[in-house]
Amino acid sequence: MKSTRYLVAVPAALALALAGCGGSTGTSGAGGDTGSDTGSGDTAGYSTDDSNCADEEVFCIGLVTDTGNVDDKSFNQSAHEGAEAAATELEGVYKYIETQDAKDYAANMAQFTDNSYDAIVTVGFLMTEATVAAAEENPETKFIGVDQGYPEGTELTNLTGLIFPEDQAGYAAGFLAGLMTETDKLGQVLGQEIPPVQKFAKGFENGAKAANDAVSVQTVYHPAGDNAFNDPVWGAGEARKQLAQDVDVVFGAGGNTGNGALQEVAKADGAGESVYCIGVDTDQWDTVPQAQPCLITSAMKLITKGVTDTLMTAESGEFEGVQTVGEAGIAPYHDFEDTIPDDVKSQVEEIVAQLQDGSLETGVTL
Amino acid sequence: MSDTRTEEAPPPSDGGPREPEAPKDRAGLLAYLIGHQSGVVIVVALVIALLIGAALIRYQGVNPWYAYEVLLRGALVNDGALTRTLQKTAPLVLTGLAVVLPLRVGLFNIGAQGQLQLGAIFGAWVAYVAGGAGFLGAVLGMLVGIVFGSVVGLLVGVLKAYRGVHEVISTIMLNYIVAGVTFWLVVGPLQGESSRTSGIPQTESIPEAARLDTVAGVPVGFAVAVVLAAVCWWVLGRTTFGFRFNTVGANKEAARYAGVPINRVVVLSMLAGAGLAGLAGALEALGTLHRFEPAIVGSLGFDGITIALLARANPLATIPAAFLVGILRTGAAGLQFQTGIAPEIVDLLLALILLMVSIPVLGKWLFRSRADKQSVATTSWGN
Repeated sequence: MKSTRYLVAVPAALALALAGCGGSTGTSGAGGDTGSDTGSGDTAGYSTDDSNCADEEVFCIGLVTDTGNVDDKSFNQSAHEGAEAAATELEGVYKYIETQDAKDYAANMAQFTDNSYDAIVTVGFLMTEATVAAAEENPETKFIGVDQGYPEGTELTNLTGLIFPEDQAGYAAGFLAGLMTETDKLGQVLGQEIPPVQKFAKGFENGAKAANDAVSVQTVYHPAGDNAFNDPVWGAGEARKQLAQDVDVVFGAGGNTGNGALQEVAKADGAGESVYCIGVDTDQWDTVPQAQPCLITSAMKLITKGVTDTLMTAESGEFEGVQTVGEAGIAPYHDFEDTIPDDVKSQVEEIVAQLQDGSLETGVTL
Repeated sequence: MSDTRTEEAPPPSDGGPREPEAPKDRAGLLAYLIGHQSGVVIVVALVIALLIGAALIRYQGVNPWYAYEVLLRGALVNDGALTRTLQKTAPLVLTGLAVVLPLRVGLFNIGAQGQLQLGAIFGAWVAYVAGGAGFLGAVLGMLVGIVFGSVVGLLVGVLKAYRGVHEVISTIMLNYIVAGVTFWLVVGPLQGESSRTSGIPQTESIPEAARLDTVAGVPVGFAVAVVLAAVCWWVLGRTTFGFRFNTVGANKEAARYAGVPINRVVVLSMLAGAGLAGLAGALEALGTLHRFEPAIVGSLGFDGITIALLARANPLATIPAAFLVGILRTGAAGLQFQTGIAPEIVDLLLALILLMVSIPVLGKWLFRSRADKQSVATTSWGN
């Protein structure tokens, strides 16, 4: 065909195709660091040469992300760092695959099982089903599903879902909030009313009351089940309402909805001086930089540590069950290191330690 | 986009041999090459893109030839790899066609992404509900996918034909609207029972019986896509109906003068293209994920644009073009596993190939004065 009347379309197509790709995949500089066909990650303290994985002596760890990169400053990155630490500790082999397409989960896990890897970490609840299926097919390989809760009746000894006590993270954050508030009024802007979110919320409330019994907590869940975790406008609106009612610490927990609340507080008068916000899940200082003016900490799941510990367990023997409960805590204070009084810091530190060693109960029941 | 100039080239005759235009004294290979220059340009573009890719892979400290070997092995040779590649190729052929059909009329469909998504969610849901009917459920799911994809196309076509709304605007905006609507559906009314407590956005899993499987290593969806590509080629090249498409695309005013019902052709081209994209979505739901979740779309719709342009709007050529994209996408994970190269290299290669094929520079450089006239031409006439 000689005529090329669709040529006009080309620049637009290029722009779109590139934009489409860029949006979904982002950047990854990490891939090159993990070695080449012959290389071994000498600097990293673990090897990427997996030719000996069938050997009992060599412990090989694989990691599959859920359509994200290992530098996503969120779950994937935390799990990746945890796996790296474990591989270094065990002087083992570690490699990862960044999933590009949700339909490739099984194929990506197969890359590792085909090469006799000992343990495979899969990140995120989206991979729950694929992980169970792969564990059933490969009884010799141990699977660790980060943030995955398996359905009742799952009885596999080579599989464990790493879940985190949201109530403890909430409790620690609430305790800090209770000590920081001047107005004795706290607010929570939450996503859908489902168990993990409720645990964060009730933990926060109990923690706040434990620190300061004069405190009152305003709690609001997203009303609809539709875009509950992706409604920053609603989140911002609720945060604004709470601020208008003298709330001075807002806990935003609910994906983008919560992020909307954090960003709204960051824009408010006195943000970072008399008004604060607290993030959730990971250190949101990194994930939501717009919230930095008010973000004193985040109620955090300690994914990195959880992954490292669970991999150690996988190497040495049996998992503790189909679910493994990791630890929770709070994120670093970053720029608020000096704003928060030392006695507050030491009290919070103590509470976190007590929660983690089990001597303190959050009192949260669902 | 908006600068539209008319072109004087004759209506495209796809597939058929190109007119021999080499002087008589230049018989043999050179004449053949000049006669088939659009094919030659694509091959040269592929080679150049792979060479640039090789340099970048080298830069990451990996032997490029080894990397390409790994890529091809991972996509074609390894156990079950070819099936997976064909599985990925199937929706790409269809989204490619979804762009090709309107392109023949001079319309640029950027909405395959959204059309696919709507087809996927309703296809998945109907196949789940009608799962008891077995294979019939799967067929029903596919039909519903086509219907819902077409609904989006119908909207675009009608707006274009009767209100003059630029289809690039309407399709791209509808992508967002459809994404919002399907997300609302998948965490609302159509969310699977078991996913409600955990809040995972996915529909109920389609029963075993109503899923599309592979027959002798060939996914059913791939067979469907190939047949449809052939049908499109036949209709466009061999029927009055197809002739009308091409006439409108070549010169709308002449077509109107000749009595072609332009509005109807416009609406039909969008309807058919979008229906194919919707079918691609349903096939993905039925054949690979066995349910709908928002990630089902990936970049299939946008890849369709790449494929249509690589195929030079020839329906049959979408098959090899989609296969190429399928190979790259399937091999990418193994590439990262074996060599540590970031899988994004594949996107880069695709972009390079598209760039080379699309810009007229390469043809001019290769064929000098004998290059085909690259008249910048009419698309999106009714602005």
